[in-house]
This record gives sequence, structure tokens and C-alpha cells, in this order.
Amino acid sequence: METLNYTLDKTEKKSLIRQIWDLAGRSTFIKLGVFIMLIFGGMAVLSPIWIQINPAIYDPIIGVDLSVNGSVGPSFKHPLGTDDIGKDLFSQLLRGSQVAFILGIMVSLISTTLGTTIGLFAGYYGKISDTLLMRLADIILTVPILPLLIVISGIFGTQSNWIILLILSFTFWPVTARVIRAQTLSLRERPFIESAKVSGISNTRIIVKHLAPNVLPIAFYYLTVTVTGAILVEAGLSFLGFGDPSNMSWGMMLQWCFVKGYVFKAPYWMIPPGLCISLLSFSFYLIGVGLEEIVNPRLKKR
Amino acid sequence: MGKYIIGRIVQIIITFFIVISIIFLMFRVMPSDPSSFLLTPSMTAEAKQTIRKQFGLDEPIAVQYVIYLKNFIHGDFGNSFYSGRPVMSIIMEKMLNTIFLSTTAVILSYLIGIFIGKAIAWKRGSKAEKFFVILGLWFYTTFTPWLGIMFLWIFAFKLKWFPLGGMITPEKWIFDPSLFEKICDLGHHLILPLITYVVLWFGSYLLLMRNSMLETLKEDYILTARAKGLKEKVIKNRHAARNAMLPIVTAFAISISFSIAGAVLIETIFSWPGIGRTIVEATLRQDYPLVQGAFAVITMVVLLANFAADIAYSYLDPRITY
Amino acid sequence: MDSVLEIKNLQMSYDTSEGPVSALDNVSFTIMAGEAMGLVGESGCGKTSLGMCIMKLLPGNAKITHGEIFFNGEDIVPKTEDEMRKIRWKGISMIFQAAMNALNPVYKVGDQIIEAIMAHDTIKKKEAKEKVSDLYKLVGIDPKRMENYPHEYSGGMRQRAIIAMALACDPKFIIADEPTTALDVIVQDEIIDEIKIIQKKLNMIMMYISHDISVIAETCDKIGVMYAGNLIEYANTLALFDNPLHPYTIALMSSFPSIEGLKTKLNPVPGEPPNLLNPPKGCRFYPRCSYTREICKNERPEFVEIETDHFLACHRGISWK
Repeated sequence: METLNYTLDKTEKKSLIRQIWDLAGRSTFIKLGVFIMLIFGGMAVLSPIWIQINPAIYDPIIGVDLSVNGSVGPSFKHPLGTDDIGKDLFSQLLRGSQVAFILGIMVSLISTTLGTTIGLFAGYYGKISDTLLMRLADIILTVPILPLLIVISGIFGTQSNWIILLILSFTFWPVTARVIRAQTLSLRERPFIESAKVSGISNTRIIVKHLAPNVLPIAFYYLTVTVTGAILVEAGLSFLGFGDPSNMSWGMMLQWCFVKGYVFKAPYWMIPPGLCISLLSFSFYLIGVGLEEIVNPRLKKR
Repeated sequence: MGKYIIGRIVQIIITFFIVISIIFLMFRVMPSDPSSFLLTPSMTAEAKQTIRKQFGLDEPIAVQYVIYLKNFIHGDFGNSFYSGRPVMSIIMEKMLNTIFLSTTAVILSYLIGIFIGKAIAWKRGSKAEKFFVILGLWFYTTFTPWLGIMFLWIFAFKLKWFPLGGMITPEKWIFDPSLFEKICDLGHHLILPLITYVVLWFGSYLLLMRNSMLETLKEDYILTARAKGLKEKVIKNRHAARNAMLPIVTAFAISISFSIAGAVLIETIFSWPGIGRTIVEATLRQDYPLVQGAFAVITMVVLLANFAADIAYSYLDPRITY
Repeated sequence: MDSVLEIKNLQMSYDTSEGPVSALDNVSFTIMAGEAMGLVGESGCGKTSLGMCIMKLLPGNAKITHGEIFFNGEDIVPKTEDEMRKIRWKGISMIFQAAMNALNPVYKVGDQIIEAIMAHDTIKKKEAKEKVSDLYKLVGIDPKRMENYPHEYSGGMRQRAIIAMALACDPKFIIADEPTTALDVIVQDEIIDEIKIIQKKLNMIMMYISHDISVIAETCDKIGVMYAGNLIEYANTLALFDNPLHPYTIALMSSFPSIEGLKTKLNPVPGEPPNLLNPPKGCRFYPRCSYTREICKNERPEFVEIETDHFLACHRGISWK
């Protein structure tokens, strides 16, 4: 991956982004990924609407259906059934979609932007800034993220989605930064950058105008796969009981099912959240792999 | 080579130093007095005094830091609040269990992933390739605890083929059974978590190997090998796969720190008495000496594994001369 | 004299997402025993594709659509991969560019040559090793270097090792694909001399592919000129230099002072080669030619023997001279 070296046709009039967009429409992986993603997007949008039907019952945090006794299976009123104290599982699942999307995409945006910027600067300026930034990246890469988050939540006694978001953003950037840096190093030697330098354009302008557009396709790839990482880590953390208690997430649903001893008794409670986590992660990764096949010509068919 | 190894060891020491310093800081910038976390009300005055002394909580923060570092260097993480045993001995025992399970799992998934990855890259564009890529992707992104629970539900709860958790059946071990019976019991407990690990992990190696292999097949020396009239099998294994393995070794090092997350989750699901489950339980019980120690040891293991991967790489690639 | 290699009306195309690319069209020529043939043309004109066709080492999307390739009297086009494997390196071998990554970086160079020998001949490893040692002496490398890895060689040495490797199975026919590109001039000359001497000494036939006509003039008995997938002129080296007939060849020659003279980059004619996705209906050189007639636009010129041993594909023929 270090030598990921895309060479889409730069002589074509169409921009790189446009070319990728055209090719993406032909990729089975990307189409399947986008399809699954849209379903979950629909669920996230449906969440507030569903609550409005009857907030007292359908609110995923405080709503309780007092008329049910213990966990019951799917019914017309509760499409996925309820948990042991009569909370509607479907509304929890919808809210979980919202949380997963927001957290996953925010982490991915922040860490990929950070990683791309750092990679560009380290690769372009080189020397001491490069060494320092890459050493920092190496150190962060060796820190086990999930245990770190567990320890932090242990210390602060409680966890919030903002802390999770910040820590994930800060620990995910090195992967992107390393690859972008490698790409920048090779781009730096190309004639069009050399000529830009000679013509006296400022360094910042060279980076923004000439280098950045050329590393964007790789950044896109990391944008999608980082979402997967963020979703899975948050779910794992919530499952272990260190999630943000003020909200609901898929990991937390599975945790309640597990700790209350319903995993073998209530498949309607156990299966959906885990399936959702896996499917949403899968969809983003599919898109990532589809993009990789496009931007990395070395993967093309012989 | 010697110079490189020394350089890497220095780097490991620096990284480790930074990490334990961060742990120290984290435990001291907590919202409240650190001693309230180290001392529980149920302790005797004597015990409180011992701990205060041990952690030097009556000293200024700089002195505390020096004492903390000194203890770390000596492998002294204090005693567990919960069990009272020395943290170091708990960690060693749990670490062994973790290494036993996850090393077996990593090796198995590595072999399976590489074998399939190699084969499907060779059959580029076939239905089998698409199938295995999607399968690998799916399991790579499957939520670990969920798959674990599903397996438990199907194979242990419904079919009753395997125990519901743990590493051994304590009742059987009381009567000091033969070694064979011990191994059978251990193996019986090992299979389900092992399968979960392998199913979850082989996909990432499969995808990596496929990509690396596809890139290698474009290299000029593959054309040379074909021009030389070598047999397909020789070209695939001796020339392509051998080179395609190189980036996998590097990726392997990076994946180690991510795989720790898997260990934490799988050990929790299968009640496997390993270090991952220990750090979760210790955190829930506010057993801070154990949390500190476990986190430090996990970091150290990751660092050493990275180091080992680097050394292995230099043996596999003759171009690398440190 | 016997013909060792005879190519008749060869056609090859690549399937791409935009449609088929006609990479080779109507290529015919013969190489006689002991001869060295040079193939010259701009990059992308199909000269490397032609070499790969003869070895049948084409990528998956390439297909020989028409024609025959006779090697030692046998047509190799219909041969299976298994049959080809036996012909490769032993019958037809290839000198790759050292600038390419032609040697596997993780194995010792000597072992890579031994591997080729042992794939074809049933001999002991020790004998194979002795043979490689002899080959190293022949190309001028210390046999001790067999134990080194490719990255430990200099560029020139790597090229010599690749030549030694090409000779490993005593091939009857060697294809040299730009073997000296990316080497510095002095080493380049040494290697070219080396190849020339070895070819005569071992009495092999050779096809030397280059974009540099001066190199070819130095090494080869016959020259073929390629343009946009067509072989447009084929004659003895001296005949071609004395009496070039195709406008493209003439342009090549005029930009080239003398056989032993300066080396010139090959772009003598203004304009770009045609897009082979949709080649011109008539002569492929038509858009850049300065001697066009009406017929050139619509009718493809046949490749015919216009004088003894002088082949040409041009409507002009000798008549215009």
C-alpha cells in the first residue's frame, strides 16, 4: 500500500474526481455498498419520525411500554419486540443507525483530513518535520486503541461520545498520513511540481493547488474505510459497557442483551444490532475496496 | 544490522516511556484526588498507609513520577485491589492464556488467508475471486462479539458441541486427570473461540495477499519467469507469492495493535481468562494498579511484536541491509 | 540458407474498455540462419508486442487474430501453453532490459539462471552451476558474483547477467528488447559489442528491438522499420541505408548523419502516430506523409518484395523515385 500509485489519465479534460465518479458507477462493490448504506441512511432519517408516533413508548432513551411484561417478541406495535423492561427495540435500532453514521463519518472526516494534511506537509517539506511527524505516527499506531478507551473511561468514571470521537480521530490519522506521505514523496519529483517550484509559486499554493488534488483519490479510500474502523471500535466499547450512557447505540443494545442474559432467549433482541453494525461497516468497506480498484492501476486486470 | 537493532530498541524504549508517562498523567489529572482512586474505604488504615507509601502519594508530583518510573522498571506494578495479589504475577498468568489463544488464531488465519488470497489472485476475474473477496470483506467487518455470540448460541447452546465458555472445566481438574484428559478438555474449550478468531481474521490477510499478489504479478520478473519456461506452479509460488508476502509482513505488524481489540472482545464473550478480559474487569472494578499494569504490558507486547516483524522482514527481503 | 523464423500476415489486437486496439497488422518477414535482424520504430509502434507474440507471452486481453509464426518450420500460433513452455528459453529466449525489474529481487542471480537451466535440461545442480560460471566468463562477470542478489549488481553488470541468463539454455533464437536503454553510453557500447560478438560466435539468430536506429545499424544484418503496428519496410542494412524507399524511412535516414555517427532521437516526422483504436482506413502513415496520393487515403498498401530482399508497404513503390 505504501506504493499505491494511481495514474488515471491526467491528459483527459475531465477532472480526476469526475473520472472516478464515472468509473464508480460501473463497480459492483461500490453499487452494493451504496445500496446498503442508503438503507441505513433511511433508518437514521426514520428515527425521529418513529419517535413522534408516541414519544412515551418509542423514545429510545426514556420511552417505556408499561403494558408489556418482560421482553416480548416482535408484534405490530413493536416490530422488533421489546427489551426486559418494555423498551421498544426498533426505536433503539433506528437511533443506533443515527449514532453510528454521525460518529463514523465525523471521525473519518476529521482523521482523514488530519492525516492527509500531515502526510502532504511531511512529504513535501521533508527533513525534520517529516521525521518528527512520522515518528509520532509510529508511536500512535502502536497504542492499542480499545484498551486505551477502556482505561480512559475507567479513569473518568464515565464516557461521552465526544471523547470517543476525539480519541478515535486522533488515533486513526497515522494510517492515512503514512500513505499520503509516500504518495507526496513520489509526486514531489514529478516535472509539474518542479516547474511550479521554479515559477515561484508559494509552497502552500503548490500543496493546495497541485499536490492535494493528486492525492485526493487515496484520501477518499481512507475516508470510507476509516468509517468502518470507527463504527466497529465504538460498538466494541459500548458492548463492553464503556459507551456513552446518555445515548443509545447498537453496541449498547447488544450489551444489554448480553448482560441481562437474553442472548440465547431472545434472538429478536440479539441478532439485529450486531447485524446492523456488521452490515454498515461492510457497506463502507465495500465502497473503499471498489475505490481502491479504480485508483490503484496495479490491481487492474492483466 | 546491529546498529539498526540498537536503534529500534532505543525507539521502543522511548515509545514505551512516552506511553507510561501518559498513563501516569492520566491517573493524576483525574477530576478528583488520585488517592481516592487508589484507596477504597474498606481498607484498613495500615493498608492505606502502605499504598500511600508505595505510590508515594504524599510526595510532590515530580517525586511521584520518579517513584512510578522506578517501580515500572523493576516490573513492580503494586498489588491488585481486588485480589491482593501482585499485579505482575496476575498479568503474566493471563498474558500466557492470551498468547496461547491468539497466537494460534493468528497463525491459522494467516495461513488460510494467504493460501486463498494467492489462489484467487491467480484466478483474477473469476467467480471464485469475487466470492472470496466479498466473503473476506464481510467477515473482516463483522462485529466480533456478535459473531462470537452467534457461534455460542448455535454450537454451544443449541447443538451443545462445545462448552459455553472458560478455558477449562474446573470440576474435571480437581481430581488431577491425566495429561491427555487435560489436553482434551483444553482443546474442547479452545475450538469455539479459535474458530471465531480465524473466521474474523482470515479475511484481512486474504484481501491483503490478493492485492499484493495482483501487484506482484505485474512485475517484470514474473514475465521473465514465464519467458524462462517455468511451470505455472513455480511462477506462482516461488516467484510471485514469495515477493507478495513481503508487504504482508509489514501489514502484520500494524495489525497486531488492532488485533488486541479483538482479543479484548473475544475473551469477554468466551470468558477466556486472558489479559483482554482482565483489563475490562479491572476497569469495571476500579482496580487501578491492575489496569495500569495490564495496559503497560499490552503496549509492550505490541511494540515487541512490531520489532519482531521488522526483523523477520529484513530476513525475507535481501534488499534490506540495516 | 534455411529460414529459422518466418512470420506471415500476423495480426494482433488488445481488448480495451474502449474497444479493440489493432496493435499489429499485416506483419510478415523472415530471418535466415545466422542472421541478426533489427526492428526499429517509435515507442508504441508495436515492436515489443511483436517480440511478445513470438514468445507467446501476451497479456490476457491480447489475442493473435490472424497469421502464422513459423519457428524451425513449425507454426507456434496454435501451440498450447504447455508446448510453448518447452520452446521458451530453449528455442526462443529473450534479453530483457536491466532497467526493468527483470531479475527477482529476493533470489541470488546465479540461482535464477540455474533455475532456467534446470527447468529445461535434466542435469545436476552442480553441472548447471558450472555452466552458469562459464556463461559469466563469456559475458565478462566474475563467476563469484553468482552468489550476489540483483540489487548488489551495477546496471551494466545486471545487463550482462541478463544476457548470460538468456544464453543459459543454448537458444536458437534470441529476442533482445531494448537491452541497453537506461545504461550510460560507454557501458551501452560495451554491451552492444558483447551481444554482437556472442551472436556471431554462437551462430544464433537474433531480433534486436530498439528505437535507436544507430544501435541497430551497428548490430544487425537486416532492418525492419515499424510504424503504427505495420512493418513498412524490410531490407538488408546496407540496402536500406543506400536506398530507403518508404517516406517514413527516408525521414528517419535524413535525420541520421551516418552509420557510425551521432545518435539521434527518433521523431523525424512532424505529427503524432495514429490512434490504433480507430486506425486510418488506408495507409496508416497517410496523415503524416508528405507524398500522399488519393489511393493512400482509402487503400492499404500491400507489403511486397519490391527489389530482391527489399520489402516495402507503400503505394509509391519505386516508381516515384
